[in-house]
Amino acid sequence: MMLGLIVALPFIAGLFAAFLSSSSRNVAAWLAGSVALASTLLAASLYPTIAAGEVVHFVASWAPQYGLEFNLRMDGFAWMFTMLVSGMGVLVVLYARYYMAAADPVPRFFAFLLAFMGSMLGVVLSGHLIQLVIFWELTSLSSFMLIAYWYHREDARRGARMSLIVTVGGGFALLLGVLVLGRITGSYDLDTVLSAGDTIRSHPQYSLALVLVLLGVFTKSAQFPFHFWLPQAMAAPTPVSAYLHSATMVKAGVFLLVRLWPALSGTQLWFWLVCGAGAVTLLLGAISATFQRDMKGVLAYSTISHLGLITMLLGMNSPLALVAAVFHIMNHATFKASLFMGAGIVDHETGTRDLRLLGGLRHLLPITALVATVAAGAMAGVPLLNGFLSKEMFFSESLQLASGSDLSLAFPVIATIAGVFSVAYSVRFIHRVFFGPVSQNLPRAPRKPNRKMLVPSIVLVLACLLVGIFPERTVGPILAIAAGSILGELPAYQLKLWHGFTTPLLMSFVALGGGIAFYAWLHHRRRSMMATPLLSRIDASRIFDLMNVIAIRGAGRLTQSLFSWRLQPQLLLIVVTALAAGLLPLVIGGWSAGGAPATALDPLFLLLWLVGCAGALGAAANTKYHRFAALIMVGVAGLATVLTFAWFSAPDLALTQLVVETVTLILILLGLRWLPRRLESAGSRRAIYWARIRRSRDFAIAVFVGAAVAAVAYAVLTRPTNGEVGDFYVRNSLELGGGRNVVNVILVDFRGFDTLGEITVVGIVAMIVYALLRRFRPAPESIEVPRAQRHDGEFRSEVSSPDEPLPSGDVRMPAVLVRLLLPFAALVSIYFLLRGHHAPGGGFVGGLVMATSLIAQFMVGGTIWVESRLKVYPLTLVGAGLLCAALAGMLAWWSGLPFLTARVIDFRLPLAGDVHLSSVLLFDLGVYLLVIGATVLMLIALAHQSMRSPRRLLSPLEQEGR
Amino acid sequence: MEIVYAVVIGILAGSGVWLILRPRTFQVLLGLMLLSYAVNLFIFGMGRLVLHKAPVIAGSGPVDPAMYADPVPQALVLTAIVIGFATTALFLVVLIALRGLTGTDHVDGQEPAE
Amino acid sequence: MNAILQHLVVLPIIVPLLCAAGMLFLPERRRAARVTLVLASAFIQLLIAIALLYLTSDAARFIWPEGVGVYAIGNWDAPYGIVLVVDRLSAVMLTLVAIVGFTTLIYAVARWDRPGQPFHSVFQLIMMGLNGAFLTGDLFNLFVFFEVLLAASYGLVLRGAGAVRTRNGMHYIAVNLVASLLFLIGVALIYGIAGTLNMADLAGRAATLSGEDRALFDAGVAILGVAFLVKAGSWPLNFWLPGAYSIAHAPVGAIFALMTKVGLYSILRVGTILGEDETLAAALLYLGLATLITGTIAILAAKHLARLVSFSVLVSMGILLAAFGLRIEALTGAIIFYMIVSVLTTSTFFMLTGMTDRTRIADPMVMPEDNPTAGSPVYMGYGVRQPSVYHDDGEVGIAIPAVMAFLGLMFVCCTLLVVGLPPMPGFVAKFALLSGALREVPDGPAAASWMFSATVLLSGLASLIALSRIGMRLFWSVAARETPRLRILEAAPVAALVVLCLTLGVAAGPVARYLDATARSLHQPDTYVRAVLAARSHDHEERP
Repeated sequence: MMLGLIVALPFIAGLFAAFLSSSSRNVAAWLAGSVALASTLLAASLYPTIAAGEVVHFVASWAPQYGLEFNLRMDGFAWMFTMLVSGMGVLVVLYARYYMAAADPVPRFFAFLLAFMGSMLGVVLSGHLIQLVIFWELTSLSSFMLIAYWYHREDARRGARMSLIVTVGGGFALLLGVLVLGRITGSYDLDTVLSAGDTIRSHPQYSLALVLVLLGVFTKSAQFPFHFWLPQAMAAPTPVSAYLHSATMVKAGVFLLVRLWPALSGTQLWFWLVCGAGAVTLLLGAISATFQRDMKGVLAYSTISHLGLITMLLGMNSPLALVAAVFHIMNHATFKASLFMGAGIVDHETGTRDLRLLGGLRHLLPITALVATVAAGAMAGVPLLNGFLSKEMFFSESLQLASGSDLSLAFPVIATIAGVFSVAYSVRFIHRVFFGPVSQNLPRAPRKPNRKMLVPSIVLVLACLLVGIFPERTVGPILAIAAGSILGELPAYQLKLWHGFTTPLLMSFVALGGGIAFYAWLHHRRRSMMATPLLSRIDASRIFDLMNVIAIRGAGRLTQSLFSWRLQPQLLLIVVTALAAGLLPLVIGGWSAGGAPATALDPLFLLLWLVGCAGALGAAANTKYHRFAALIMVGVAGLATVLTFAWFSAPDLALTQLVVETVTLILILLGLRWLPRRLESAGSRRAIYWARIRRSRDFAIAVFVGAAVAAVAYAVLTRPTNGEVGDFYVRNSLELGGGRNVVNVILVDFRGFDTLGEITVVGIVAMIVYALLRRFRPAPESIEVPRAQRHDGEFRSEVSSPDEPLPSGDVRMPAVLVRLLLPFAALVSIYFLLRGHHAPGGGFVGGLVMATSLIAQFMVGGTIWVESRLKVYPLTLVGAGLLCAALAGMLAWWSGLPFLTARVIDFRLPLAGDVHLSSVLLFDLGVYLLVIGATVLMLIALAHQSMRSPRRLLSPLEQEGR
Repeated sequence: MEIVYAVVIGILAGSGVWLILRPRTFQVLLGLMLLSYAVNLFIFGMGRLVLHKAPVIAGSGPVDPAMYADPVPQALVLTAIVIGFATTALFLVVLIALRGLTGTDHVDGQEPAE
Repeated sequence: MNAILQHLVVLPIIVPLLCAAGMLFLPERRRAARVTLVLASAFIQLLIAIALLYLTSDAARFIWPEGVGVYAIGNWDAPYGIVLVVDRLSAVMLTLVAIVGFTTLIYAVARWDRPGQPFHSVFQLIMMGLNGAFLTGDLFNLFVFFEVLLAASYGLVLRGAGAVRTRNGMHYIAVNLVASLLFLIGVALIYGIAGTLNMADLAGRAATLSGEDRALFDAGVAILGVAFLVKAGSWPLNFWLPGAYSIAHAPVGAIFALMTKVGLYSILRVGTILGEDETLAAALLYLGLATLITGTIAILAAKHLARLVSFSVLVSMGILLAAFGLRIEALTGAIIFYMIVSVLTTSTFFMLTGMTDRTRIADPMVMPEDNPTAGSPVYMGYGVRQPSVYHDDGEVGIAIPAVMAFLGLMFVCCTLLVVGLPPMPGFVAKFALLSGALREVPDGPAAASWMFSATVLLSGLASLIALSRIGMRLFWSVAARETPRLRILEAAPVAALVVLCLTLGVAAGPVARYLDATARSLHQPDTYVRAVLAARSHDHEERP
């Protein structure tokens, strides 16, 4: 429970802080500080339990199906880290309170800081690997927000984004690695995994898991080659750097290394990967740190190098090395944090961190100078300071590796060289800033820092001293339980200042002496400000940016070729895919005609289709240049289809197709006028050549598709039917459906639901057409009056005014006829509607007949004249149709029957004969109304485009981009 | 008769496919119409070819299904026809609107760059 | 109450239909009434969906013993009549439709339902189409509902006209018309061979087919599958999708988040009922991976948010298809979970783009509304007597405090959802997928699983790179952009959806339990089949 509190508190407090007004910095600071303090005290209160070697658990179920649970676990090591994180949190909050400018909206700052602290504590206390990954990613996110706190600065944005991408990417690798671990051990529970070390190491996927986990670790704790994001992250406010790069963010990586040490370490692979990366990073960081010009730059690279040192220790596969590593984790946190704070104070008071401008500040900032010097001493590994102890352990461990073989001799050498450099950059750091002549060209006259601002770093430095002088009494027990919780039983080691004259001691002094000498030489030769030799050439962060750009550019180009924005390629691909998909089973399963008796060929039918196919092919050939002709040819093919339906005993289909044909033709004729005149255009020879290629390709595809469809159709046609469902309809159409026309009964009763959907589609389309054409503007060149209407100057039918009884002009005679036709057409349509249930016909056909006769009115009467006389508005008709059909369906509910169940009354009507009036008829009436409404709507929409005046052409496509 | 019927479907489908792969909107429109003829005939054919057996029940009493064509494909085709009609109309209108907006009848709203 | 319960299954189709028809009678000036009506309809659908969610769960076995509800339309038994079938999966999908629809409507009411366009009717009808597609148990009826939702989607895509919109809309329509023709061919072929359209009946009959009949039948199924894949946005059949989605208005994009899932659902439904098939699985796997990879590349390249989101739809579809292609039954639950999350994510993100876009200059493609002169006969034909009087106060909304902060927060949440980072459930979903893909196989995960897992994570990273770039440009660019004025009405749905996502993550336990049951029932189609074929209609003597 307490553990839950430790993790939850910061998040809750952070949420509160987020909602504070941007001026209330004290409240926010107090909130953050007290929360950090609370966590520290809570953790501290657990010390007795932990010291007794117990492990505190807090488990809550989450999603067992996915093997997820909320599991907090605190052992000695976790406890040490908790203290480190929360304790350092207190100091950083205190520091930040005085560091951040009054103008800054600090509540946001503290909110993110708290969130970050919470995630860090979560990482440290996770007892479940997936949960650990979750908090791991959360640290990446919250640190992103912290680094980018001053997001108006370009470097802040860049640094933040870089760290985000690198660490989150590493996090993904870690997730995959953890998944593999989970697969190996069958559980994500930390205890299980840790106890399964041998199983893991012997598993074939061990190396995979290790590499993935290490990717996560190295990205997080800035190990080579992922070290580059850390210096960029220095754009963050100094308190953030002090926190992230001393005790928390970057330490998460090494924390995980220690955590999984029992499970993963102890193999050659581990040694070479971890130790190798550590060694490279150690050296690289130390060297680059020596040549930085920015105070924080020095600290950043030294952080990298110290992390390398820790990693190297952990790679050594020796318990003692692990102890040393844990020890150094603590030491580094203390002195590095205080150094960052020092740098921050200098920056805060003088306005610069540039080593070239600074100098002699010990006169102006004596306390800061003193504190920083001691901390730097610790960093350099000067005796009596904590850095010295852990470094000496490091040296002795590196000696342990030097077991004869020449290659292994490299390690102590590397260690010493790195030691030399670390001394060098520490000395340089202090000397440059605090010693030498007082620099005159500071951006701002130095002020005395606020004393409270100094408190945190003083505290830390005291810690350095105490640990350095009385290690056994101060840090001894903590180190014991921390390392003990990892190792089980501790190796024999003694924390004390003086081990006698040993090689490690020698190495330390070589490092000290060499380092000082080296810096003196640099300084003497005025070279101390030169750029980093060699390394400055290869700037990993720039490479990263470059890769970023290349990736995006490349992706852009690839996308062009992967996703065409044009229509033809898309249709082509769909057709080809469908063709392939359809043929594959036939190729595998085989294809042949069935055995059913074929119907005798009727030459008339053949003739009919000779004409029909001629129409189709002609249309295919001529559509581009002779639209009208092509349209007629298509009509011919359509007519042939109609006759075919009639031929093969489908009167309803024939009727419907016929009416649809007519209406469609009228529609297209109305629209044809708006298409541009097409003239034979002779393009360049290349264009023509490519066009020919395209055409022949498409032709081939068309032929293939045709052949395939024909083959499949033939195969089915010649197979015996199995229309068992159809038989049911035929058998029960009259008895249960109460209609003789089976097809109609199916449409309105057996499968009436389809029809409901179908008319809905028609209705929707009508609405869309209405919406579209209301705002349509014809292209200017197609505005002028069509030739057909231009024979005698003006065209009367269009200008006839609404109040005339009849359209004037030369269309008057036809107008009279058409108007006389209207009532008859209405009768016919209603007749179709009523008889539909027993004979070919039905609501749809009736509706279309009615609609066509209305169109006729338009043709002769002219748009204005008719529209001004329309009393019922099409959209209303559509709505009425839908309602009618739906209600017809719902009638059944009253008698407790499902939707669309037919309810019936029969009676005789003089003209139409035996009428079968029922909910079914009501349903068909709905169809009828809707079809009239929809069709008329579309036709009006197209018809009265001629009323439109051209608007200015809108911005052409090219400008809009796609 | 079946063979003719099948070939007919093939020809209609082929010319339809050819047309929908052309660059002009009107060509695509007619292509879609031809294709829908082909598809309608195809669906209809799934009920096999039957002569003089229109599924309209004559007389009364028990009905022998063998005397009537399979009505299901006919019903399906009817629905397909109607939906096809609606979508064709919509496509036509969109085609006109596009032509009005872009000044060209190319499917991509702009003449191909030579 | 009992009557409602009896007809509950058909209501998700009837309610929006009635509402849409009713809207056609309500003149535009009665705005309050219209808005109330549509919101009420959407809310009722939500209630129904939740009820069905409960009825299909184990808690309510006393009503539907198998957990499968069957509703015989027109009182005709399967396979003769059309039956609506609701099982767990359908219920889940219906709930998604209702949630997305309801929130999107609220959002749309804030500023997007311009006059002159029957937005509300069409929107209700697209919901009807979606619900129908998720409910129907009949193959041809599925086609009809596909057409309904497609027709409605055509209308929505074309909203706002403009050259680019119209062009992309035309492409969208053309592609879908071809796909529909394929659908018809497939269905026809299936009927021609198997002689039935009812899915449950089909399961039995397909098993009896053999030899060349089987081959023809499979050809039909394959063609059907292509039609579904086009809808599901599988590469290389998905070029139309980014174009159509990225130019669509924000609320349209939000509801479109569901469209691709219909294709997926159909593949699932038909696929599982016809029995698992190696070739199908392999096809799904490789097409899925292709979709995932190509989508990721495109995301990396995307420069505008809307476009990026459209590609992220492709990525999620790729993940889903590939995951199904792995053929790991234990994975299905996780897949559905991921699908839910991705639908909510996409809708939220599209709504968000609608708000962030307002920080840019107004979209040049939008055509000026034409104001007809009063009583012009030209418009009488439309029943528009006077020019539609509608004071559009879209630009003078009350600026809610810290608008940018809110938008930023929402953007971060959406990013986390897309990338799959904690604390958003995107992480849980992706983790569940990966762990399922890697763990559930006895003899070590296949190479495909590794490939899948790696690609999923890489695509996540890619979207992080792209989104961080765009996000910084949107919210952190130094050039001071004027903060958009938001309405509570459009901010609330986005926030609500994000909160819903969070709860999904926290309550992953119970959700996962329900979804695993869903997956199990999905992999035992015989339950479904039995339920459908066993369902006897009401007493027939009721009939004439």
